[in-house]
Amino acid sequence: MLEQFIFVGVLLVVALFLPVVLIGLAWLLRPKRPNPRKSEIYECGLQPHGENWVQFKAQYYIFALVFLIFDVEAVFLFPWALVYNWLPLYAVLEGVLFIALLAAALVYAWQKGALEWM
Amino acid sequence: MGGETVFNAIWLLTILPELLLLILALIVLGVDLALPAERKRSLGVWTAAGLVIVLLVSLLAPVPEEAAFGGLVRADPLGRVFRAMFLLGGVLVALMSMDFRPLRQDGPYYGMLLFSLLGMCLMAVAENLVMLYVAMELTSISAYVLVGYLREDTFSAEAGLKYMLFGAFTSAVMLYGLSLLFGLTGGTGYMEVAAALREAPFSLAMVGFLMVLVGFGFKVAMVPMHFWTPDVYQGAPTPVTAFISVASKAAGFAVMLRAFRFIFPSLGGEWVALMVAISAVTMTLGNIFAVWQKNIKRMLAYSSVAQAGYILIGVAAASRLGIAAAAFYLIIYTVTNIAAFATVVLVSNLTGSEDIESFAGLSRRSKFLAWGLMLALFSLGGVPPFAGFIGKLILFAGAVQSGLIALVVIGVLNVIVSLYYYLNVAKVVFERRSEEEEEPVPIPVPSRWVLGFTMAAIVILGVLAAPVFNWVWRASGAWF
Repeated sequence: MLEQFIFVGVLLVVALFLPVVLIGLAWLLRPKRPNPRKSEIYECGLQPHGENWVQFKAQYYIFALVFLIFDVEAVFLFPWALVYNWLPLYAVLEGVLFIALLAAALVYAWQKGALEWM
Repeated sequence: MGGETVFNAIWLLTILPELLLLILALIVLGVDLALPAERKRSLGVWTAAGLVIVLLVSLLAPVPEEAAFGGLVRADPLGRVFRAMFLLGGVLVALMSMDFRPLRQDGPYYGMLLFSLLGMCLMAVAENLVMLYVAMELTSISAYVLVGYLREDTFSAEAGLKYMLFGAFTSAVMLYGLSLLFGLTGGTGYMEVAAALREAPFSLAMVGFLMVLVGFGFKVAMVPMHFWTPDVYQGAPTPVTAFISVASKAAGFAVMLRAFRFIFPSLGGEWVALMVAISAVTMTLGNIFAVWQKNIKRMLAYSSVAQAGYILIGVAAASRLGIAAAAFYLIIYTVTNIAAFATVVLVSNLTGSEDIESFAGLSRRSKFLAWGLMLALFSLGGVPPFAGFIGKLILFAGAVQSGLIALVVIGVLNVIVSLYYYLNVAKVVFERRSEEEEEPVPIPVPSRWVLGFTMAAIVILGVLAAPVFNWVWRASGAWF
């Protein structure tokens, strides 16, 4: 029993050491030519202008959240649909209940104005 | 479970309160959409009335004793005691929220409260590692949202973020521990895991146990997983603070007691020694830090850490009396702490401050409120004849029965230390004068109900503890 868990222990050691070794190696091997331009904010190769603490519209995350719910719903429904022909009645009802709950959530988000673009 | 899972409609009775909670949450969210803005304060009434119905159903409906859904949940009597405790806490918090200005007309807030309660009720009856984890996550994620609910308030947002980071970290550690237990035993049902753990190598079983304990420790706020408590209690909206200080803590103890009894009996000697040490450190640290606090919510946060230490005495005793005493103390703690936080809501509504100093002259501004706070503090401090005294007495009796005399001595010393800071607040309330002492504190009807109920419960549980304790004692019989 204990021997089988040696792999977990080995993996733990490797996981702890690998980043340390890689970062250490990079630090040892890299050429060191500091330059103020190098520590500037990266902006797709362009000259950065303005402050880096700018506000931008975060409203898109609500769409992302609503989308994600239905994305995950699909993942759960694929196995359900695959064995649909062999399912007993209660399993079909469970699937329907699951969809109904998510539909209610969508209606709620819609009514709350989450789908309006401002 | 065989190749075929057969569904049995009887199983639905086992999770009837949870199903009703889900329906109630959907109703509350629907009513929120339908009501015009000026009438939304009635959402609290909807929530509280619905929760009373769920509470009555959970107490009165017949429940099959055997495990349901292929061993995922088992609504045994003690699980139902805990479920009733959370629901009672939920009723009181919903009523209390109606007088908390920023939240009282907020539908999603009440919805989140109900979802969190749903998770807690499942925690009380879960008998499978996967079910346990899902229930704990449902509880926690709803609670993260509740703590950070006042996004405009930097304290609340900060508290929400801290609670989430700390919770996510401990939950990840616990999940890794659960995966180790599954790897060791090849099963997820409590009984399967316990049977296989008897043969498992000690070191691995212990690592799994300690990692799972981290997750439980976060929920009950025991040392060294207590660091989030003061900041989160201070920053969260006060009704939410009350909610996580009573219901969430009780839910943590519900899973802890069940897991220790049914997953880790083979590690009995080790975890008893560990819990004795943690209990002693938790109550001592909580009480010592509480002495210095100027903010009443921070003081109650450290006091709740100390109270978790007292309850851990019952966990460490690991006997029928110890477990029954822990459950009984949690009922007392629920009504007592809610009484304390209900007064904080009303006073901070008026003064805009949560400092202990702002309670000066309260006895002249409102006798009712002052006595409510005083009863709560006396009960927390264990002054006879109030409920907290009899609760602590039974906890100590359980420890003596299990031979943990040293722990009882530390407990008694701690009770004496705690009296200092509890009575210090009482002194500010009754002795200290303030300039606004002529101005009375208005007490709205929902708070009147909450305070009336909790004050009556503190006194009645103190002088007439037997009926409730006997109920818990009978319930604990199913575990032995």
